[in-house]
Amino acid sequence: MRTKGKLSRLRAATTVLAGLGVVAWAGTAGAWSYKEAAEPYKGTTVTILDEITPLQEAFAKLVPQFNEETGINVNYQLLNHFEVISRGQADLLSGQGEFDAILLHSAQAGLLLDAGVLAPIDDYLANEKLTSPDIDLADIIEPGWSSSSKYGGKTYAFLTWAYNSIYWARKDLLEHPDEQAAFKAKYGYDLAPAETMQQMRDIAEFFTRKKGEKLAGKALESDFYGMLQEGIKGGSTVPLLWNGIIKNFGGDLFDAEGRPSFDTPEVVAALKFWAELWKFAPPGQAEASLIDVPTIMGQGIVAQTIAWSDFVLGVDRPGASPLTGQFTYRRVPYNGEYKGARSAETEPSILILSKASKNPEATYLFLQWMTDKATQLKLAESMKGAVPMRNSMWNQTVYTDTPLAELFVAMKGSLSDGVAKPRAPKIYELYDAIGGIAQEVGLGTLSPEDGAKKGQELMLAICEKCLLP
Amino acid sequence: MSTIDAAPVAPAKPARRDSGLWYPYLLIAPTMITLTIVSLVPFLYAAYLSLHEVKYGQVRGFAWFDNYAALLTDGRFWNSMWVAFVFVTIAVPIEFMLGLVGALVLQQGVRFERFVVPFLFIPTMMAPIVVGLLWKIMLAGSWGILSYNILERFDILSETSAFASPTLALYTLIFVDIWQWTPFMMLAFFAGLQALPLNPYRAAAVDGADPVQVFFRITLPMLAPVLAVVGLLRLIDAFKIFDSIFILTGGGPGTATESPSILAYKIVFEYWEIGKATALAVLVWLVFFVFCSLFYQIAKKRLKAF
Repeated sequence: MRTKGKLSRLRAATTVLAGLGVVAWAGTAGAWSYKEAAEPYKGTTVTILDEITPLQEAFAKLVPQFNEETGINVNYQLLNHFEVISRGQADLLSGQGEFDAILLHSAQAGLLLDAGVLAPIDDYLANEKLTSPDIDLADIIEPGWSSSSKYGGKTYAFLTWAYNSIYWARKDLLEHPDEQAAFKAKYGYDLAPAETMQQMRDIAEFFTRKKGEKLAGKALESDFYGMLQEGIKGGSTVPLLWNGIIKNFGGDLFDAEGRPSFDTPEVVAALKFWAELWKFAPPGQAEASLIDVPTIMGQGIVAQTIAWSDFVLGVDRPGASPLTGQFTYRRVPYNGEYKGARSAETEPSILILSKASKNPEATYLFLQWMTDKATQLKLAESMKGAVPMRNSMWNQTVYTDTPLAELFVAMKGSLSDGVAKPRAPKIYELYDAIGGIAQEVGLGTLSPEDGAKKGQELMLAICEKCLLP
Repeated sequence: MSTIDAAPVAPAKPARRDSGLWYPYLLIAPTMITLTIVSLVPFLYAAYLSLHEVKYGQVRGFAWFDNYAALLTDGRFWNSMWVAFVFVTIAVPIEFMLGLVGALVLQQGVRFERFVVPFLFIPTMMAPIVVGLLWKIMLAGSWGILSYNILERFDILSETSAFASPTLALYTLIFVDIWQWTPFMMLAFFAGLQALPLNPYRAAAVDGADPVQVFFRITLPMLAPVLAVVGLLRLIDAFKIFDSIFILTGGGPGTATESPSILAYKIVFEYWEIGKATALAVLVWLVFFVFCSLFYQIAKKRLKAF
């Protein structure tokens, strides 16, 4: 009897297992795939406008895989930063629809939201035929994604490129025994990569030396400088000053009501710090762009900088610089004398669906594929580490088992400290005004107090209430 | 003996074409229509936009002269005009003088002229954007070839760089412009010299005129039309300077090198205030229209240039 009972239970269990197996098989057979989702759109062509950096150049090589998998032809066009902004915005505002999706930096969102030309993707996200059940939105890096892509209860895009700034310094100098001893004797604490802004300032002062003086035991053939920052009018000088310094002093460009707040004591203190760092900069910092900064770092005449991490990937590579492997990285330093939240300049950028797109579904599929975990991993592997937009990437061996592991830890830290720009339709006009002030304060032709006052006047002349509600 | 009636015969008028008087207009019509479409229509549209409120590329309402008032009360507009004025008044005369001297030297005959002349064309043939990048590589602070190896190494410019200094940036841009455009002036003037008739020079030689007299009494007056036209074209072009400033300084430091073209670019593509930008374009056009009209009258009456 017991044997019979056992047999019947075994049969029942086998039946259940078999049933579960069939269900699992059926589930697998009907599993979501890009190929099936793209079936109605096979043969269509979508045109994407992205900007050219090493990231996009590497990604462009993966795009044919999407074409092959889905039958959707993607015309992936790359232009430089400024052209993407001017041409992309012109296309969106004119409604011409030359591009199906366009790269937006978070700073552009205010103007385009105000103009009402951005299309949310909520309907597509909710469409089971178009959206993979494995999309795992919770994995997308925050606060970059929400601050750049969500507005008024709507989602406008996936996070596409999580650009971020990091602290970048010469490890060989910071670890040199003679320099360490001299630094400790002068400042009373150990020489190490800067964690605080005050340490960064001390390191800048310590390593600023004249031709003929010794650096790491060798006589200098030319002047050496302690700190380099972007200083050109335009580019990302103002965002780096704003999020990398001003906010770390408790200041901001706007108050809680969205009015300009450039003349506060906190901004004045931040401008003083900014001007102080310029004393240790190489000549010509006022013309240093986001491209000059990594170039000069690679040249080896500066001890430390705050730079965009994606450009580091182009310098700290075998063969790219004689100093490859001699750098160290950290998240953007915080103000040791400020108790508020630390801040770093990041630029969460998004490929936004154009309202005028004739193939929004096919475009959406491509944008989803870009952010797919498998695609992100392929991109990272092709570059031996990239700037990820998913948290799950940080644990991949390509990010942990690499000489640049320290860089990726720094990126992760900075990304946790940075948010997208607030929605200010006139933000580029404000950048232009503040950019001139930043240069003048840095060059010493304007005092921080006068700079703050003049900056506030210029900002008020542009907008009294600058942020969208 | 027969006589021949030799009454003069009036030359036959060329047979008027059936098409009549409008035939010449028909011939120039394609050119005029093309010019109207590509030149006049955009200008008139710009003038139309300058009188309207244009937000994010959408024409809203008639704004009368608000855009002009906003521009004329904006210090940045006057600063940009001053930058352009300084740029033009320094760069163009130097290019003009160097070009003329160079052309006279070339005319005297130089060795390897066949190689020298194409070589001189190189800066002018370069795209302005390439010229900007080239001088960025030469003079960029800390890493430019000239900056790093000469200016900073020998403490000629150790505390700043050519493009980062508010006092030097504009003059450095002027230097770049002179480098690029002097060869053009030289070759244009050289071409003009080559086309001058020889007889006046022979007569002057017979009369015993010295080289200075020949230059001021013969060469310069005969070359005046070329000098006037080339000088005017260069002046207009220099006033519109954009590319090299955009690449090298972005209009900075501060607003030290912000020309009207750079300002207009920013107003359109960064601020999206198309009404204000078109007002700027119309104002600059108006300035040039007045200037060119005066120049034309002077060149026509005094220099017999046109």
